Amino acid sequence: MADDLLNPVDGETLVESAELLAASGLAHEELVELVEFGVFETNQGDAGWSFHSRVIHQARRVVKLRDAFGLNPPGMALALTYLEKIEALEQRLRELECLLPR
Amino acid sequence: MKFKDYYESLGIERGASEEEIKKAYRRLARLYHPDISKEEGAEARFKEISEAYQTLSDPEKRQAYDDLGRHRAGEEFRPSPEWDSRFWQDQPHQEVDLSDLFEQMGFRASQRRSQSGGVDFPIRGHDVEAIAQLSLDEVCHGTQVTLERTGGNVRIRVPKGVVDGERLRIPGRGGHGSGGGADGDVYLHIQLLPHPLFRPVGHDLYVELPLSPWEAVLGAQIEIPTLDGRVQVTVRPGSQGGQKLRLAGKGLPHRGEGAGDLYGVLQIVVPKEINEREQELYRELATASSFQPRPQFTGGTIHG
Repeated sequence: MADDLLNPVDGETLVESAELLAASGLAHEELVELVEFGVFETNQGDAGWSFHSRVIHQARRVVKLRDAFGLNPPGMALALTYLEKIEALEQRLRELECLLPR
Repeated sequence: MKFKDYYESLGIERGASEEEIKKAYRRLARLYHPDISKEEGAEARFKEISEAYQTLSDPEKRQAYDDLGRHRAGEEFRPSPEWDSRFWQDQPHQEVDLSDLFEQMGFRASQRRSQSGGVDFPIRGHDVEAIAQLSLDEVCHGTQVTLERTGGNVRIRVPKGVVDGERLRIPGRGGHGSGGGADGDVYLHIQLLPHPLFRPVGHDLYVELPLSPWEAVLGAQIEIPTLDGRVQVTVRPGSQGGQKLRLAGKGLPHRGEGAGDLYGVLQIVVPKEINEREQELYRELATASSFQPRPQFTGGTIHG
Protein backbone atom coordinates (compact mmCIF):
# COMPACT_ATOMS: atom_id res chain seq x y z
CA MET A 1 0.00 0.00 0.00
CA ALA A 2 1.45 3.37 -1.01
CA ASP A 3 1.80 5.53 2.02
CA ASP A 4 1.34 9.28 1.86
CA LEU A 5 3.33 11.88 3.70
CA LEU A 6 1.43 13.77 6.39
CA ASN A 7 2.30 17.34 7.24
CA PRO A 8 1.85 18.60 10.79
CA VAL A 9 0.24 21.96 11.46
CA ASP A 10 2.50 24.80 12.51
CA GLY A 11 1.92 25.92 16.12
CA GLU A 12 1.39 29.48 14.89
CA THR A 13 -1.48 28.60 12.55
CA LEU A 14 -4.78 30.03 13.76
CA VAL A 15 -7.72 27.77 14.59
CA GLU A 16 -11.31 28.75 15.30
CA SER A 17 -13.03 28.03 18.62
CA ALA A 18 -15.06 25.21 17.04
CA GLU A 19 -11.93 23.31 16.00
CA LEU A 20 -10.32 23.86 19.38
CA LEU A 21 -13.41 22.52 21.15
CA ALA A 22 -13.73 19.49 18.87
CA ALA A 23 -10.05 18.57 19.06
CA SER A 24 -9.79 18.93 22.83
CA GLY A 25 -13.19 17.85 24.13
CA LEU A 26 -13.48 21.09 26.08
CA ALA A 27 -16.98 22.51 26.59
CA HIS A 28 -17.71 26.00 25.28
CA GLU A 29 -18.43 27.41 28.76
CA GLU A 30 -15.14 25.96 30.02
CA LEU A 31 -13.29 27.61 27.16
CA VAL A 32 -14.86 30.98 27.97
CA GLU A 33 -13.82 30.68 31.61
CA LEU A 34 -10.28 29.58 30.76
CA VAL A 35 -9.91 32.53 28.39
CA GLU A 36 -11.24 34.82 31.14
CA PHE A 37 -8.66 33.38 33.54
CA GLY A 38 -6.02 34.28 30.97
CA VAL A 39 -4.65 30.74 30.52
CA PHE A 40 -5.44 30.65 26.79
CA GLU A 41 -4.41 33.51 24.57
CA THR A 42 -6.93 34.56 21.94
CA ASN A 43 -6.87 36.55 18.76
CA GLN A 44 -10.07 38.52 18.33
CA GLY A 45 -11.20 37.94 14.75
CA ASP A 46 -14.31 39.06 12.86
CA ALA A 47 -15.99 35.71 13.45
CA GLY A 48 -15.14 35.53 17.16
CA TRP A 49 -12.09 34.12 18.90
CA SER A 50 -9.29 32.33 17.18
CA PHE A 51 -6.31 30.62 18.79
CA HIS A 52 -2.79 29.62 17.88
CA SER A 53 -2.96 25.92 17.18
CA ARG A 54 -0.51 25.24 20.04
CA VAL A 55 -3.42 26.16 22.36
CA ILE A 56 -4.98 22.84 21.27
CA HIS A 57 -2.19 21.01 23.14
CA GLN A 58 -2.86 23.08 26.26
CA ALA A 59 -6.59 22.42 25.94
CA ARG A 60 -6.13 18.66 25.51
CA ARG A 61 -3.89 18.59 28.51
CA VAL A 62 -6.35 20.47 30.67
CA VAL A 63 -9.17 18.17 29.53
CA LYS A 64 -7.15 15.11 30.60
CA LEU A 65 -6.62 16.72 34.00
CA ARG A 66 -10.32 17.63 34.21
CA ASP A 67 -11.35 14.05 33.48
CA ALA A 68 -8.81 12.45 35.79
CA PHE A 69 -9.47 14.70 38.76
CA GLY A 70 -12.97 16.03 38.17
CA LEU A 71 -11.69 19.63 37.99
CA ASN A 72 -13.90 22.66 37.40
CA PRO A 73 -12.60 25.54 35.23
CA PRO A 74 -10.88 27.43 38.11
CA GLY A 75 -9.15 24.16 39.06
CA MET A 76 -8.20 23.55 35.44
CA ALA A 77 -6.79 27.07 35.15
CA LEU A 78 -4.78 26.66 38.33
CA ALA A 79 -3.44 23.20 37.38
CA LEU A 80 -2.35 24.37 33.93
CA THR A 81 -0.73 27.51 35.31
CA TYR A 82 1.24 25.50 37.86
CA LEU A 83 2.28 22.86 35.34
CA GLU A 84 3.53 25.47 32.92
CA LYS A 85 5.36 27.22 35.73
CA ILE A 86 6.98 23.93 36.77
CA GLU A 87 8.02 23.29 33.19
CA ALA A 88 9.57 26.75 32.89
CA LEU A 89 11.50 26.05 36.10
CA GLU A 90 12.58 22.63 34.84
CA GLN A 91 13.87 24.27 31.68
CA ARG A 92 15.80 26.81 33.77
CA LEU A 93 17.15 23.96 35.91
CA ARG A 94 18.35 22.08 32.80
CA GLU A 95 20.04 25.26 31.65
CA LEU A 96 21.86 25.62 34.98
CA GLU A 97 22.77 21.93 35.03
CA CYS A 98 24.47 22.48 31.69
CA LEU A 99 26.81 24.93 33.42
CA LEU A 100 28.04 22.24 35.80
CA PRO A 101 30.64 19.63 34.91
CA ARG A 102 29.04 16.30 34.08
CA MET B 1 -7.74 -12.75 24.55
CA LYS B 2 -5.73 -11.97 27.68
CA PHE B 3 -7.65 -11.24 30.81
CA LYS B 4 -7.01 -8.00 32.71
CA ASP B 5 -8.11 -7.62 36.28
CA TYR B 6 -9.55 -4.11 36.31
CA TYR B 7 -10.44 -4.32 39.99
CA GLU B 8 -6.89 -5.24 40.85
CA SER B 9 -5.59 -2.36 38.68
CA LEU B 10 -7.54 0.05 40.83
CA GLY B 11 -6.82 -1.85 44.04
CA ILE B 12 -10.48 -2.34 44.91
CA GLU B 13 -12.86 -5.18 45.75
CA ARG B 14 -15.19 -6.53 43.08
CA GLY B 15 -18.17 -5.27 45.03
CA ALA B 16 -16.84 -1.67 45.25
CA SER B 17 -19.41 1.13 44.93
CA GLU B 18 -19.30 3.70 42.12
CA GLU B 19 -18.00 6.23 44.63
CA GLU B 20 -15.21 3.88 45.75
CA ILE B 21 -14.20 3.27 42.13
CA LYS B 22 -14.01 7.00 41.49
CA LYS B 23 -12.00 7.62 44.66
CA ALA B 24 -9.54 4.83 43.89
CA TYR B 25 -9.07 6.14 40.37
CA ARG B 26 -8.45 9.73 41.49
CA ARG B 27 -6.00 8.64 44.17
CA LEU B 28 -3.99 6.63 41.64
CA ALA B 29 -4.31 9.31 38.95
CA ARG B 30 -2.75 11.82 41.34
CA LEU B 31 0.26 9.51 41.65
CA TYR B 32 0.66 8.41 38.05
CA HIS B 33 -0.85 11.11 35.83
CA PRO B 34 1.78 11.79 33.14
CA ASP B 35 1.59 15.52 33.83
CA ILE B 36 2.42 14.93 37.46
CA SER B 37 4.76 11.96 37.55
CA LYS B 38 7.81 11.84 35.33
CA GLU B 39 8.90 8.50 36.80
CA GLU B 40 9.59 5.64 34.47
CA GLY B 41 6.56 3.43 33.99
CA ALA B 42 4.16 6.06 35.33
CA GLU B 43 2.55 6.58 31.95
CA ALA B 44 1.98 2.85 31.42
CA ARG B 45 0.51 2.57 34.90
CA PHE B 46 -1.75 5.56 34.24
CA LYS B 47 -2.98 3.94 31.02
CA GLU B 48 -3.75 0.77 32.95
CA ILE B 49 -5.76 2.55 35.65
CA SER B 50 -7.55 4.75 33.09
CA GLU B 51 -8.54 1.70 31.08
CA ALA B 52 -9.84 0.02 34.23
CA TYR B 53 -11.73 3.15 35.27
CA GLN B 54 -13.28 3.67 31.85
CA THR B 55 -14.83 0.22 31.99
CA LEU B 56 -15.75 0.05 35.67
CA SER B 57 -17.22 3.58 35.84
CA ASP B 58 -19.77 2.79 33.12
CA PRO B 59 -22.51 0.59 34.64
CA GLU B 60 -23.23 -1.16 31.34
CA LYS B 61 -19.57 -1.96 30.66
CA ARG B 62 -18.98 -2.95 34.27
CA GLN B 63 -21.83 -5.44 34.06
CA ALA B 64 -20.38 -6.87 30.86
CA TYR B 65 -16.94 -7.07 32.44
CA ASP B 66 -18.28 -8.79 35.58
CA ASP B 67 -20.10 -11.29 33.39
CA LEU B 68 -16.79 -12.36 31.85
CA GLY B 69 -16.18 -14.07 35.16
CA ARG B 70 -12.98 -14.24 37.19
CA HIS B 71 -9.70 -15.13 35.60
CA ARG B 72 -6.11 -14.58 36.54
CA ALA B 73 -4.59 -11.40 35.04
CA GLY B 74 -2.81 -12.30 31.80
CA GLU B 75 -4.68 -15.60 31.47
CA GLU B 76 -5.95 -16.48 28.00
CA PHE B 77 -9.70 -16.71 27.95
CA ARG B 78 -12.63 -16.53 25.61
CA PRO B 79 -15.99 -14.97 26.43
CA SER B 80 -18.88 -17.42 26.45
CA PRO B 81 -21.16 -17.56 23.39
CA GLU B 82 -23.99 -16.10 25.51
CA TRP B 83 -21.74 -13.17 26.45
CA ASP B 84 -20.84 -12.64 22.82
CA SER B 85 -24.39 -12.49 21.62
CA ARG B 86 -25.53 -10.33 24.48
CA PHE B 87 -22.78 -7.69 24.60
CA TRP B 88 -20.78 -8.11 21.45
CA GLN B 89 -23.47 -9.04 18.94
CA ASP B 90 -21.34 -11.96 17.75
CA GLN B 91 -18.67 -9.75 16.16
CA PRO B 92 -15.33 -11.52 15.61
CA HIS B 93 -12.69 -10.71 18.25
CA GLN B 94 -9.71 -12.92 17.45
CA GLU B 95 -6.97 -10.29 17.70
CA VAL B 96 -8.81 -7.84 19.87
CA ASP B 97 -7.47 -6.60 23.20
CA LEU B 98 -9.79 -6.40 26.16
CA SER B 99 -9.52 -2.60 26.13
CA ASP B 100 -10.59 -2.42 22.46
CA LEU B 101 -13.48 -4.67 23.27
CA PHE B 102 -14.84 -2.32 25.92
CA GLU B 103 -14.00 0.81 24.01
CA GLN B 104 -15.88 -0.39 20.97
CA MET B 105 -18.69 -1.59 23.13
CA GLY B 106 -19.53 2.06 23.84
CA PHE B 107 -19.68 2.79 20.14
CA ARG B 108 -21.85 -0.22 19.49
CA ALA B 109 -24.23 0.87 22.22
CA SER B 110 -24.64 4.32 20.67
CA GLN B 111 -24.95 2.84 17.21
CA ARG B 112 -27.69 0.57 18.51
CA ARG B 113 -29.48 3.56 19.96
CA SER B 114 -29.19 5.51 16.73
CA GLN B 115 -30.56 2.62 14.73
CA SER B 116 -33.58 2.07 16.94
CA GLY B 117 -34.35 5.76 17.52
CA GLY B 118 -33.61 6.75 13.94
CA VAL B 119 -31.45 9.66 15.17
CA ASP B 120 -28.01 9.92 13.63
CA PHE B 121 -25.52 10.57 16.36
CA PRO B 122 -22.16 11.89 15.14
CA ILE B 123 -19.14 10.39 16.87
CA ARG B 124 -15.76 11.94 16.34
CA GLY B 125 -12.98 9.52 15.37
CA HIS B 126 -10.27 8.57 17.85
CA ASP B 127 -7.15 10.65 18.19
CA VAL B 128 -3.95 8.72 17.59
CA GLU B 129 -0.99 9.58 19.80
CA ALA B 130 2.54 8.41 19.12
CA ILE B 131 6.04 9.17 20.35
CA ALA B 132 8.96 9.87 17.99
CA GLN B 133 12.44 9.62 19.48
CA LEU B 134 14.77 11.66 17.31
CA SER B 135 18.47 12.45 17.27
CA LEU B 136 19.73 16.04 17.32
CA ASP B 137 20.83 15.59 13.76
CA GLU B 138 17.31 14.59 12.69
CA VAL B 139 15.63 17.59 14.32
CA CYS B 140 18.30 19.82 12.86
CA HIS B 141 17.57 18.89 9.28
CA GLY B 142 13.99 17.72 9.57
CA THR B 143 13.06 14.10 9.00
CA GLN B 144 10.24 11.68 8.38
CA VAL B 145 8.87 9.12 10.77
CA THR B 146 6.68 6.15 10.01
CA LEU B 147 3.62 5.59 12.11
CA GLU B 148 2.65 1.94 12.12
CA ARG B 149 -1.08 1.50 11.96
CA THR B 150 -3.44 -1.25 11.14
CA GLY B 151 -4.67 -0.59 7.64
CA GLY B 152 -1.39 0.81 6.39
CA ASN B 153 1.58 2.72 7.74
CA VAL B 154 1.74 6.45 7.28
CA ARG B 155 4.74 8.69 7.07
CA ILE B 156 4.78 11.98 8.95
CA ARG B 157 7.05 14.83 8.02
CA VAL B 158 8.89 16.27 11.02
CA PRO B 159 9.94 19.78 9.99
CA LYS B 160 13.24 21.21 11.16
CA GLY B 161 12.93 23.33 14.25
CA VAL B 162 11.05 21.00 16.58
CA VAL B 163 12.27 20.83 20.18
CA ASP B 164 12.20 18.24 22.91
CA GLY B 165 8.70 17.78 24.33
CA GLU B 166 6.96 19.41 21.37
CA ARG B 167 3.72 17.90 20.10
CA LEU B 168 2.91 17.94 16.42
CA ARG B 169 -0.69 17.76 15.28
CA ILE B 170 -1.98 16.37 12.01
CA PRO B 171 -5.69 17.17 11.90
CA GLY B 172 -8.19 14.71 10.48
CA ARG B 173 -5.80 11.78 10.06
CA GLY B 174 -6.69 9.83 13.20
CA GLY B 175 -9.52 7.31 13.49
CA HIS B 176 -12.56 7.68 11.25
CA GLY B 177 -15.62 9.34 12.70
CA SER B 178 -19.03 7.73 12.45
CA GLY B 179 -22.56 9.01 11.98
CA GLY B 180 -21.23 12.14 10.26
CA GLY B 181 -18.65 12.83 13.00
CA ALA B 182 -15.27 14.27 12.05
CA ASP B 183 -12.16 12.09 11.84
CA GLY B 184 -9.79 12.25 14.80
CA ASP B 185 -6.33 13.81 14.76
CA VAL B 186 -2.81 12.41 14.94
CA TYR B 187 -0.48 13.74 17.64
CA LEU B 188 3.22 13.09 17.49
CA HIS B 189 5.16 13.69 20.68
CA ILE B 190 8.80 14.59 20.02
CA GLN B 191 11.48 13.25 22.36
CA LEU B 192 15.14 14.01 21.79
CA LEU B 193 17.63 11.22 22.23
CA PRO B 194 20.64 12.09 24.38
CA HIS B 195 23.75 13.23 22.51
CA PRO B 196 27.26 12.44 23.80
CA LEU B 197 28.40 16.08 23.52
CA PHE B 198 25.51 18.48 23.16
CA ARG B 199 22.81 19.11 25.72
CA PRO B 200 19.74 20.87 24.31
CA VAL B 201 17.72 23.47 26.22
CA GLY B 202 14.94 24.59 23.91
CA HIS B 203 16.71 25.65 20.72
CA ASP B 204 20.02 26.32 22.50
CA LEU B 205 22.77 23.74 22.81
CA TYR B 206 25.37 23.44 25.53
CA VAL B 207 28.74 21.78 25.15
CA GLU B 208 31.36 21.35 27.83
CA LEU B 209 34.61 23.06 26.93
CA PRO B 210 37.52 21.73 29.00
CA LEU B 211 40.61 23.98 29.20
CA SER B 212 44.08 23.40 30.59
CA PRO B 213 45.12 25.90 33.31
CA TRP B 214 47.56 27.60 30.91
CA GLU B 215 44.92 27.92 28.18
CA ALA B 216 42.62 29.62 30.69
CA VAL B 217 45.38 31.94 31.94
CA LEU B 218 47.10 32.79 28.67
CA GLY B 219 44.12 32.56 26.35
CA ALA B 220 43.97 30.18 23.42
CA GLN B 221 42.52 29.41 20.05
CA ILE B 222 40.62 26.16 20.30
CA GLU B 223 38.41 24.14 18.03
CA ILE B 224 34.99 23.24 19.28
CA PRO B 225 32.53 20.86 17.71
CA THR B 226 29.22 22.19 16.42
CA LEU B 227 26.39 20.32 14.73
CA ASP B 228 27.81 21.31 11.36
CA GLY B 229 31.53 20.83 11.79
CA ARG B 230 34.28 22.25 13.94
CA VAL B 231 34.65 25.96 14.63
CA GLN B 232 37.65 27.91 15.92
CA VAL B 233 36.98 30.04 19.00
CA THR B 234 39.12 32.43 21.00
CA VAL B 235 39.40 31.90 24.71
CA ARG B 236 40.43 35.21 26.31
CA PRO B 237 43.34 35.36 28.75
CA GLY B 238 42.13 35.06 32.35
CA SER B 239 39.03 33.00 31.49
CA GLN B 240 37.27 31.41 34.48
CA GLY B 241 35.65 28.02 34.84
CA GLY B 242 31.85 28.18 34.38
CA GLN B 243 32.02 31.08 31.91
CA LYS B 244 30.02 30.64 28.73
CA LEU B 245 31.25 31.28 25.23
CA ARG B 246 28.30 32.01 22.97
CA LEU B 247 28.28 30.99 19.35
CA ALA B 248 25.25 32.77 17.95
CA GLY B 249 23.08 30.77 15.57
CA LYS B 250 24.94 27.49 16.10
CA GLY B 251 22.13 25.89 18.11
CA LEU B 252 19.09 24.06 16.77
CA PRO B 253 17.30 25.76 13.88
CA HIS B 254 14.00 27.52 14.42
CA ARG B 255 10.97 26.56 12.38
CA GLY B 256 11.39 29.53 10.04
CA GLU B 257 14.58 31.54 9.87
CA GLY B 258 17.42 31.58 12.37
CA ALA B 259 18.56 29.19 15.04
CA GLY B 260 19.30 29.00 18.73
CA ASP B 261 22.80 29.50 20.11
CA LEU B 262 25.57 27.13 21.05
CA TYR B 263 27.19 27.73 24.43
CA GLY B 264 30.62 26.39 25.23
CA VAL B 265 30.87 26.14 29.01
CA LEU B 266 34.47 26.60 30.14
CA GLN B 267 35.73 24.03 32.55
CA ILE B 268 39.30 24.15 33.80
CA VAL B 269 40.76 20.68 34.09
CA VAL B 270 44.12 19.68 35.50
CA PRO B 271 46.24 16.65 34.71
CA LYS B 272 45.99 13.90 37.33
CA GLU B 273 49.60 12.89 36.91
CA ILE B 274 52.51 15.10 35.82
CA ASN B 275 56.18 14.41 35.16
CA GLU B 276 59.10 15.82 37.12
CA ARG B 277 59.73 18.71 34.77
CA GLU B 278 56.13 19.80 35.02
CA GLN B 279 56.25 19.56 38.80
CA GLU B 280 59.30 21.76 38.77
CA LEU B 281 57.58 24.37 36.62
CA TYR B 282 54.49 24.37 38.83
CA ARG B 283 56.67 24.86 41.93
CA GLU B 284 58.44 27.72 40.24
CA LEU B 285 55.07 29.23 39.33
CA ALA B 286 53.85 28.83 42.90
CA THR B 287 56.83 30.79 44.19
CA ALA B 288 56.72 33.47 41.52
CA SER B 289 52.96 34.11 41.57
CA SER B 290 51.29 36.67 43.82
CA PHE B 291 47.85 35.36 42.86
CA GLN B 292 45.40 35.09 45.76
CA PRO B 293 42.72 32.53 44.91
CA ARG B 294 40.78 33.03 48.20
CA PRO B 295 40.93 36.72 49.11
CA GLN B 296 37.42 36.61 50.61
CA PHE B 297 38.68 34.28 53.36
CA THR B 298 41.02 36.95 54.61
CA GLY B 299 38.80 40.02 54.38
CA GLY B 300 39.53 40.84 50.75
CA THR B 301 37.06 40.80 47.89
CA ILE B 302 36.93 38.44 44.95
CA HIS B 303 36.81 41.34 42.51
CA GLY B 304 39.54 43.35 44.28
